[in-house]
Amino acid sequence: MTATIRFFARFRELLGTDIQAPVEAGATLIGLVRRIAKQNSEGYEAIFDESGNFREFVIIMKNGKRIERGAAGITLVSDNDEIAVFPPVAGG
Amino acid sequence: MIAIQHEDVDIGALVRNAKENGTGAVVVFDGIVRDDDIRQIELEAYEEVAVPELRKIAREASEKFRLLHVDIVHRIGRLDIGENILVIVVSAGHRKEAYEGSRFIIEAIKAGVPIWKKELTKEGGRWVPGEHPHGSGQPGYHIS
Repeated sequence: MTATIRFFARFRELLGTDIQAPVEAGATLIGLVRRIAKQNSEGYEAIFDESGNFREFVIIMKNGKRIERGAAGITLVSDNDEIAVFPPVAGG
Repeated sequence: MIAIQHEDVDIGALVRNAKENGTGAVVVFDGIVRDDDIRQIELEAYEEVAVPELRKIAREASEKFRLLHVDIVHRIGRLDIGENILVIVVSAGHRKEAYEGSRFIIEAIKAGVPIWKKELTKEGGRWVPGEHPHGSGQPGYHIS
């Protein structure tokens, strides 16, 4: 099974984007993003706090739908899912 | 027209097209790259989410303020000082609805549409912080 991780803005600069990641059955969203983010310590620290939780301002989506930070540990990732992780928006 | 695109847009053509039957007012919002001691700005969007969000905002604004026509064109990529970033054109029967509808749309975009901009300076670059720390994908743009 494979999922796509998309980082945007500063997170993209640190970690890349459109990352194809293998996922095992039962994989959680937070576990998957932690694994990918650990490839760059600055990127990891930008997204996660000292306890390994998503920082308060980080926005997470699964297949285009917002996932609350508190649910990221119980949200499962399946084949072909798209996970997006980004900082607060600043358009306009 | 609801679009996220690299190309600039012909505002005059949008205004002409906005004059539906019953139009008494057209309001144009044109967000421009300001010279804040920068060289350029660079914009990026999560387009697959941002475009549906823009459509949803346009729909809500049309219903809430009885708008007759709405265009939203948000540009991405590298833009020079003075270039258009965001163009919103709305028409309504009366000025009050047109002004309020336009304001609703820009505030909603700033609150919740996944678009980011980076100011490119001589020293490098800096990401512009969002005005709404938790905003995106949430209907947090219901201004009164």
